[in-house]
Amino acid sequence: MQLRAGLLYLAGAVAGAVGLSAAVMADPAPYPHKVVTLVTHSSPGGGSDVFLRELSKYLGRYIGATFVVENVQGGSGAKAMARTAAAPADGTVFYATTPTYIYTSLLSKPSKTYKDLEPLVNVFTDTEVVFTRTDGPFKTLQDVIDHAKKERGKWGAANPASLERQAAEQLKRAAGVNAAIVTHEGGGDMMLNVLNGTLDIGIGEIQELRSQLEAGKVRLLATFNPERIPEKPDVPTVKESGFNVQLVKFRGLAGPKGIPENVTKIWDEAVQKVLADPEYKKAYTEEVLVPQFIAHKDYPTFIDDFATKTESFLKETGAIK
Amino acid sequence: MNKDGLSGLVLLALAAIYYWATGLIPDSTLEDEVGATGLPRALTFALAGLGVILLVRGVLAGRQAAPKAARAADDEEQDATLPRAIGFLLFGLAYVLILPYAGYLISVGLLIAAVALYEGAPRRWTVPVAAVGGAVLYWAIFVKLLGVNQPAGLLEGLI
Amino acid sequence: MATFWDIIHLLTGTPLLFVAIIGLTWGILGGALPGISASITMALVLPFTYTMDPAMAIALLACVYIGAEYGGSIPAILIRTPGTNSSAATVIDGYELNRQGRAGEALGISLMSGVIGSLFGLAMLVLLTEPLSWLALAFTPPSYFGLGILGLSVIASMTGGSLVKGLSSAVIGLMIATVGTDPISGVNRYTFDIPDLLNGVEPVLVMVGLFALTELMSQSGSSNVTQLKEAVRIRLPSLAMMNKLKRSQFIGCVLGLFEGLTPGGGGSIAAFMSYNEARRWSSTPEKFGKGSEEGVAAPEAANNTVASTALIPMLSFGIPSSNSTAVLLGGLLMHGLLPGPRLFEQNPQVIDSLYVGSFIAIIAQIAVGVVILPAAIWLVNRPRPYRAGFIFALILSGIYTLNNSQIDLGIALFLGLVGYLMRRAGFPFLPMILGVVLGHMVESSYRRSLVLSGDDMMIFLQDPICVGLLLTAAGFVIFSLTRELRDARKAKLEEAHP
Repeated sequence: MQLRAGLLYLAGAVAGAVGLSAAVMADPAPYPHKVVTLVTHSSPGGGSDVFLRELSKYLGRYIGATFVVENVQGGSGAKAMARTAAAPADGTVFYATTPTYIYTSLLSKPSKTYKDLEPLVNVFTDTEVVFTRTDGPFKTLQDVIDHAKKERGKWGAANPASLERQAAEQLKRAAGVNAAIVTHEGGGDMMLNVLNGTLDIGIGEIQELRSQLEAGKVRLLATFNPERIPEKPDVPTVKESGFNVQLVKFRGLAGPKGIPENVTKIWDEAVQKVLADPEYKKAYTEEVLVPQFIAHKDYPTFIDDFATKTESFLKETGAIK
Repeated sequence: MNKDGLSGLVLLALAAIYYWATGLIPDSTLEDEVGATGLPRALTFALAGLGVILLVRGVLAGRQAAPKAARAADDEEQDATLPRAIGFLLFGLAYVLILPYAGYLISVGLLIAAVALYEGAPRRWTVPVAAVGGAVLYWAIFVKLLGVNQPAGLLEGLI
Repeated sequence: MATFWDIIHLLTGTPLLFVAIIGLTWGILGGALPGISASITMALVLPFTYTMDPAMAIALLACVYIGAEYGGSIPAILIRTPGTNSSAATVIDGYELNRQGRAGEALGISLMSGVIGSLFGLAMLVLLTEPLSWLALAFTPPSYFGLGILGLSVIASMTGGSLVKGLSSAVIGLMIATVGTDPISGVNRYTFDIPDLLNGVEPVLVMVGLFALTELMSQSGSSNVTQLKEAVRIRLPSLAMMNKLKRSQFIGCVLGLFEGLTPGGGGSIAAFMSYNEARRWSSTPEKFGKGSEEGVAAPEAANNTVASTALIPMLSFGIPSSNSTAVLLGGLLMHGLLPGPRLFEQNPQVIDSLYVGSFIAIIAQIAVGVVILPAAIWLVNRPRPYRAGFIFALILSGIYTLNNSQIDLGIALFLGLVGYLMRRAGFPFLPMILGVVLGHMVESSYRRSLVLSGDDMMIFLQDPICVGLLLTAAGFVIFSLTRELRDARKAKLEEAHP
C-alpha cells in the first residue's frame, strides 16, 4: 500500500505551519524548492514513519520548505528505493535510510539498490540492547554468558535476517558459548517469550521496550552502542562487558544520485541545528534516540563500510553467494 | 482419462516443479535442524503421494464404468466452459498489462466496458456511460478518497 | 477509573460521538472494499490523527477497526468476495443464502451477530484486561504450534466429500505459505529474485482469487444465475431467529476472545474455527454449506469479538497481536503514549474515550448498517453484464492497494484460473485457504520450538497448552472423519435403495 502525497499533504502542511509559526526567531534557511517529499518504506506508525514525521515537524524551523511524508511500502524497501532513485536529483525527494535498505539490496535483487542512491546526512543511531525479564535469574551480561557456558543459552533476535541476528551471532562467537538463537516475527513476538521466561535474553531496539521498561518488567543488561546511553548511564556497553561487538543502527536520509552542493550544504547545517533544538531534543531523548550527525561528505563512506561488513556476514553464513 | 486421473497428473507435475524450486533455496549456516527446505520436502512427498492415489483411482474408475462420471456434473452444468472462463480472465490480464501505460482511470473504464460487452450487455449508449461513470467513481474512491497511488499513465499531470 | 458523570460527558460530548460514527463509517467502507484490510483502512486515517487530540485519535482508530471487521462481511455475502481476511468463513453460507434470494436476511444476521460479538469483546476488554493479559503471556512457541495444528484440524471437516482432494488442497495452500523469507534462517524461498514476493503471498489474494474470480469466471455468459428475487430489503433477524442463533454466537464469542488474545492468531482463524464448532453443536448441521443462518452468525460474532479482545495484549504490554493492532500501537506512539499499565494510570481519559467511543460505534453500527445495506443490495442487483464488469474492476482496484504491485494482480488472476479448474475437478477451496493462513504459523513455531529445545521433540509434550490443543485437534479429526464416513455410507445406502 502506498499513500499518495496528496492525502498526507494536510498533515505535512499543518506540521510545517506549526514549525513556521515557532520559527520567527530561528529564521529558516532559504531552500530552492517549496515542497520536500520524505519517502519511507515503513507503514504509517512504523519506526521510520514516526522518525520522519517528528523530524519534519521541527525541520521547518531551519529549512524554508514544507515537508511531506510519503509511505511507499512493499518489497521491504525495494519499492521506496526505486521511487527515490527515479526522482529528480534536485533536493525535492529523500528516503529515510535504515539498515533495512542495505539488507534488502543484498538479499534480493531489487531493480534499484542502495548503490543507486546518494547518502545525504545521518541523523540518529537507534539503541540496540540486551534485555531480560526483571524477575529472572540474570543480573548482568556475564550471568547470561556463564549460563550459556554451563548449559545452553536461549537468546532471542527480533527478525531472521537482521542486524539483531547478526549481533546475536557475533556475541555468541565472541563469548565462545553454545546458545540457541531464536528468531521471531518482530520485537513484540520476542518480548512475550522474554517475559514468560522462554528466552534468557532478547536483543532488540530500546524503542520497542519502553512500555516494559517503564512498568519495570524488563532489565537492560548491556547496549551494543559504541558508548553508554546518556539516559541510562548504569547500563554498560557490550564491549565494556568484555565482548568486542558493536552495532550502529543508523537513521538518516538519502536521495537520488547527483544532489547539488547548495542543497547538501543546507541540510548539513539544518540537521545540526535541528538536533540542537531544545524541543526536539526533549522529544527524541524520551525515545532514547542517540543523535549522531554524519555530514554529507562522510556519509557515503559510512554507508559503504556498513554495506561491506553486512555483505561479508551474509556471505559467511551462506545466505547470499 | 477422467477428471481424477487428470487431477492426479497435475498434482504430480506440481510436486515436480515445487521440488525443482526447492533446490534453488540457498543453504545458510544460520539454519536450524529442520531447515528452510524441511517443510517443503515433506510437502512435496505428500503432494506426490496424493497425486499417485488420485491417478490410480482415476485409472481404476475409468476401467470400471463411465456413466458415474457423466452423472456427477449436475452442479457444474451451469458453469461456463473453459474457453469462455479463460476469455473472461484475459480481460483482467489485459488490464494489468495496460495499467502502467494507460493509467488507472482509462484502464478501469475499458475493463468495465469490455467485460460488460463480453457478458452480453446490449450495444447501446448505456455501455460507454457505465464505463465512464464507473471509472470516475472508482477513481474518486480509490485515488481521491483512499489516496491509493494508482498509476496515472497517459493522464499524468492532467488529474 | 472515571466517574459516572465523566462517562455521561464522554457519551454526549459531540466530538467523541462524531469521531466514533465517522470512524465506524470509514471502517465499514474500507472493510467492504476487497483487498483493503482492516489494518490498511486504519493506516489510511492514521496521518490525519496526528493533529488530533490523543484521546480522540485513539478512539477514532478503534472505531475504524470495529467498522472494518464488520464491513468485510458485506461483499462476502453479496459478491462472494471477502472484504477482509477474517470474513472468508462468512462467504460459505452467506453467499449461499444470497443465492437463495435471502441476502437481506444474511446481511441482517451478520450485522446483529457482529454487534453481539463486539459488545462481548468490549465487555471483556473493559472488565477483564488484567487477568486475560496473563493468558496471552502463557503462550510459548510450542503452544503456538498446537494452536496452528488445531486450526489445520478444521480441514478434516471441510474436505467436501473427498479426503484425498481435500488434503491435496491443503498441501497446495501450505506450499503457497512457504513463499517468502524463511522465518528462521532468513533465506529467500520461491521468490525468484522478485522483491514483491519477499513478504510472501497475501492470504487475501488467495481468497479473492479462489472465491470471487472463480465465481465470476464460472458465471461468465450465463443468464442471471444469481438474480436476486424481487426487491430485497435488509431484514434484521427476529427474536425467534436470534434465539436460534444463540448457540452459534456464543461459540463465536468465546473463540474470538481467545484468538484475539494470542498474537498471530487473528480473526480469520477464529472465524473458521467457530464456523466448524457451530456446525458440530448445531441441531441442523446438514444445512451448513447450503445456506445456514448459524454459519453466518458464528464467524461474524467471532471476528467482531477479535476486534476488541486483540486490544488486550496491545494495551497491557504494547504487543500487537495483528497488523491492525500494530497500526493502533503506532497511533499511540505518535501521540507520545506508551501502552502498558502506566497508560491506564496516567492517561485514563485515553482509555475511557477508547471504551466509550467503541461502545458508541457498536450501537451506531446497527443504524449505519440499516442505512447503507439497502444501497449495497441495490448495487449488486444491477443487470448481470454490468455487475460482472464492476465487480471485476473493484477486485483489481482493491488488491492493487495491498502493495501497489502488478505482480499481486497477476497472482490473483492466476489463482482465479486455479480455482476454476479446482471447482471443475471437485477440489474444495477451504482447506487451501486454511493452509495459506496457517502455514507460516505452524512451520515457524514448530522450528522455533526445536531450536529452543536443541531438537528435542519432548518440548511439545512438556508444554501443557500445546498438549491440550493437540489432543483437542486429534479429537476433532477423529470426530470429523467418522462423521464423513458415516455420511458417505448413508448416501451410498440411499443411492442403492431410493
